Parts: sequence; C-alpha cells; structure tokens
Amino acid sequence: MSKLAIIEIPEPSGGPLALGVGTPTDSQRVPVWLRRGLEASLVWVALLVAWFLAAAYLPLGKNPLIPAPPVVLEALADSLPELWEGTLSSFTILLPGFGLATVLGILSGLAVGTSGRLQDAFLPFARVAAPVPPTVYIPYAIAVLPTFKLSAIFVVFIGAFWPIFQNAVAGAHSLEQRYRDNARILGFTGFEYYRRVVFPAALPHIFSGMAVGLGFSFILLTVAELFGANAGLGRFVQYYADFGDYPRMVAGILYTGAVTFLAMTLLEAARTRALFWVK
Amino acid sequence: MAGGGLQITGVRFAYDGSGVILQGISLDIPAGQFVSLLGASGSGKSTLLRLIAGLQLPQQGSLLWNGTPVLAPGLERGVVFQDYALFPWMTVADNIAVAIGKARPASTKAECREEAEGHLRKVGLDSARRKYPFELSGGMRQRGAIARTLAVGSPLLLMDEPFGAVDPVNRARLQDLLLEIWETSVPRKTIVFVTHDVDEALYVGQRVVILGSVPGRVIADLPVSLAGARERRSLIESEAFRTLRESIAEVLAEDTLAQLAVS
Repeated sequence: MSKLAIIEIPEPSGGPLALGVGTPTDSQRVPVWLRRGLEASLVWVALLVAWFLAAAYLPLGKNPLIPAPPVVLEALADSLPELWEGTLSSFTILLPGFGLATVLGILSGLAVGTSGRLQDAFLPFARVAAPVPPTVYIPYAIAVLPTFKLSAIFVVFIGAFWPIFQNAVAGAHSLEQRYRDNARILGFTGFEYYRRVVFPAALPHIFSGMAVGLGFSFILLTVAELFGANAGLGRFVQYYADFGDYPRMVAGILYTGAVTFLAMTLLEAARTRALFWVK
Repeated sequence: MAGGGLQITGVRFAYDGSGVILQGISLDIPAGQFVSLLGASGSGKSTLLRLIAGLQLPQQGSLLWNGTPVLAPGLERGVVFQDYALFPWMTVADNIAVAIGKARPASTKAECREEAEGHLRKVGLDSARRKYPFELSGGMRQRGAIARTLAVGSPLLLMDEPFGAVDPVNRARLQDLLLEIWETSVPRKTIVFVTHDVDEALYVGQRVVILGSVPGRVIADLPVSLAGARERRSLIESEAFRTLRESIAEVLAEDTLAQLAVS
C-alpha cells in the first residue's frame, strides 16, 4: 500500500493544482461576506426545518413535548411581559453578583499577581477552592443567608469570582520586564503603578476571565432560581415545566439564550473597544 | 566640574545562581561625554547599563552619578531600550506627558501635554502624537522613546542598542538626530550608548569602551578623535576612521578567539 502511495502522489499533483488556479476566479463572483452569510444561515435553516419536521411527525402524544415553531412563537409573544419582568428580577441577582466578582477579582488578582508573598499565601488556597463546582454551595447558601436573593447573589459571585481572579493573576504575571523597568525608571509606585501599568497590561487576561465569569454567572443564576425563586428566567422555565406548558417553556429557553447572547456580545464589544491597542 | 559625571569603581555583578557577568569594571565618564560601549553579545554591556540605571545593584564596587551613589532608578538617568518600551496602551503624546508629570509634579495636565508636543516636534513625530505605538514603525517608536527622555530632562542618557531593530536608512537618520540633540543640549548631556556595531560606535561616540566576554571586563578604552564636522560619507572614508575600525575589530576578534580557546 505504501508503495502504491509513493507512486501515486506525484502523478495527480498537476491536477488539483490546475483546479486550484481555477477556483479563485469562481469564488470572486460571490462576495466573501455574502458567501459566509449564506453558509451560516444554512445551519439555522436546517435546524428550523428539523424542528418543524420533529414537531409534525414525532409521535409524542396529545401534549407534544416538541411544540411547533409557530406555537412557540405565539407563546413567546404572550409571555413577553412576564419574561421581561423575569429578566429584571434575574438581573437584580446577576449584576450585583457579577459586578462584585469583577471588582474584587481584579483587585485581589492584581495584588496577588504582583506580590511574591501574597502569592505564597493565597495561591495554594485558590488552587483548592477554585475548582469546587459553585452549584454545590447553593443549598447551604440558601440555608445560611437570610434571603433567597442574597444567597443567589452569593452563588453567582462565587462562580464569577474565580475565573476573574485567576485571569487577573495571570494578567499581572504577563507584564513584561521592559514595562516594569520603564515604570521603575519613571517612578511609578503604589496605586499609580497599578492604574497606569499593571491594570492596562493585564486587561486582555481580565476580559477573558470576565467572559468565562459571565457565562458561569448565567448558569448559576438559572440553577439558583430553580431552587427557590418566585421570579426570574430560570424560575419561568421551571414554573411552566411543572404545568407541562411546553410552548412557554421552550419560549423561555430561547429567550434566556437570547439574553445570555446579548450580554456576552456587549462584553465582547467592551473588550474590543478597550483593547484596540493590542496588536 | 569636580566630581561631576559617572564614576564606576571595581564593579562586580552576577545574577543569582549563575556565573559572574561583570568583573572589576572601573570607568570614569566626565559629564557631557558621549561614550560608545562595544562588546560581543554576552559581554555584559546591557547589564552594565542596567547597573548604571539602578535597575540592578552590584555585589561589589560602587557607581556614582555626580557624586551620589546609584541605588535605585531615577529620572535623572533616562533609559532608551532596544525593544521599544513606550507603554502600548497610551498614545505617544500621553506616554511623554505622563513622564513629564512624574518629573515635574507641579505642572498641570495641559502643560504636560503642551510640553510633550514640543518634544515630539523636536524628534519629527508631531504628526504622530495621537497615534498608539502599534501604529508606528520601529524607528518612529524609538524617536518617541528619545523624546520621552528629553522631555523628562535626564542629564544622563543610557541607550541599550536603541537602533538595533531599525532599518539602515532610519538608523542613520536616528544617529544624526541623536548627535544633534547631544551637540545642542545645554548643559551637554552625558550619553552611554551600547551597540555591537563598530561603525555606529565610532560614528556617534567621542570615546569607545570595549567589554571583553566571560566575565565582562574593560579590554580597551579608546578616544575617538575624528577631527572636523561629522559628515558621514567623508568620515567613514577617512584614514583615521578606517584605522580605528581595524584596531577595534582586532580587539574584538582577539576576545572571541580567547573565548573559543577557553571553551
């Protein structure tokens, strides 16, 4: 077989090459953005068709587990006011939890990342504590903290804190020797050193940590809401699941996905804006 | 000016857990002198510059700048590194304005900016003042780094292969710009210029100090007495320049051979 391969390889090499010359002129007729757009929409169209077919032909009984797209769309339109209220309620948990995790994660991460002694003291603990799945804190947080809201904020905070902290530490480590030398020569010390040199240098890492942290925040938010909330996005899905109202439930899932996507897109836009100097 | 300038006496330096980098370095550089520091790679020239800057401290010996021991970095000793050390997250003008703010804390933000723009004009960068370092060529970034040390007003400039990564045409321009800055500075700035390019060392320096390798030590200290205006063409073709270049090349070659013999 190997012998055959050796003989065959040089032979057709003229063929594909000649074809390769021909293809660019063909693809130039369709603009790249249009071609990419068409390819991307293919996936959406395929999924939608699969959904229609599944709803129409899968035998799942009287109360179909897979409601057809128009039914879900109607449920979504009906539930929009309720979903909007749920969003507001969820954000009173998400924003304080994620915001606090961002502020404390950056401050402590940069401090630990720039000090050998703080590093020796805290990193061993962080290495043990960070991988604990934050979901396991939920029942205990609900038991210990006075309100459900506070415990949910706490759990979101824990989930977002570790990735932001760890990335801030890595960001502080990534500060190049030449910038440190420069800062020393110019006499940057204390807070000014952190504000002008360490923080901007660590920003690319910090944004990565925030993206991971935001993803975790949404997961923990919705999971916590399944446990005991009386409003919110996760609660909405759980509530209608209990009644077997699958159109509303699927609408809730789609809506939550859209909100998450929007939040991630906003963070990404902020990142692009803040890090235009990274080349 | 008694006690002025840079006095280096019996300096020895080794990084933790590695061999001796510099051994028995003594140099007396009067204020206002332009010294080229030559040597093979690994001869410790950059390390010596870091010691003068105060970024590292010697295990033995002393460094005095204008009679004061060098114990930490300071704004009176400006450094221009080879790898453009302007902060990439600030515009060129901000990089310089921030440095001015550190050198003269009493001045307002607007004053710092205005002064920064004046210095950028001096190095031919005024059109790029709002740009970020990543938008500039290597040569332009080095102009920015030079403008920063000028803006801070450092009387001693330490330059570590500042034009090493710049293309030949811009390199010649930057050498001339540096010479012009030095010749017109009042009082005359002291410059220690590290390079491994013999022609460059001779073209810019009044004096060439050569470091030998492993451990780094002074193996030659030559005055560069090339009379008359520094017109590049005629200078490089002059007999005196060629003689100096050959003797320096010989010293460097001997050092390389000696090192080979050891290893």
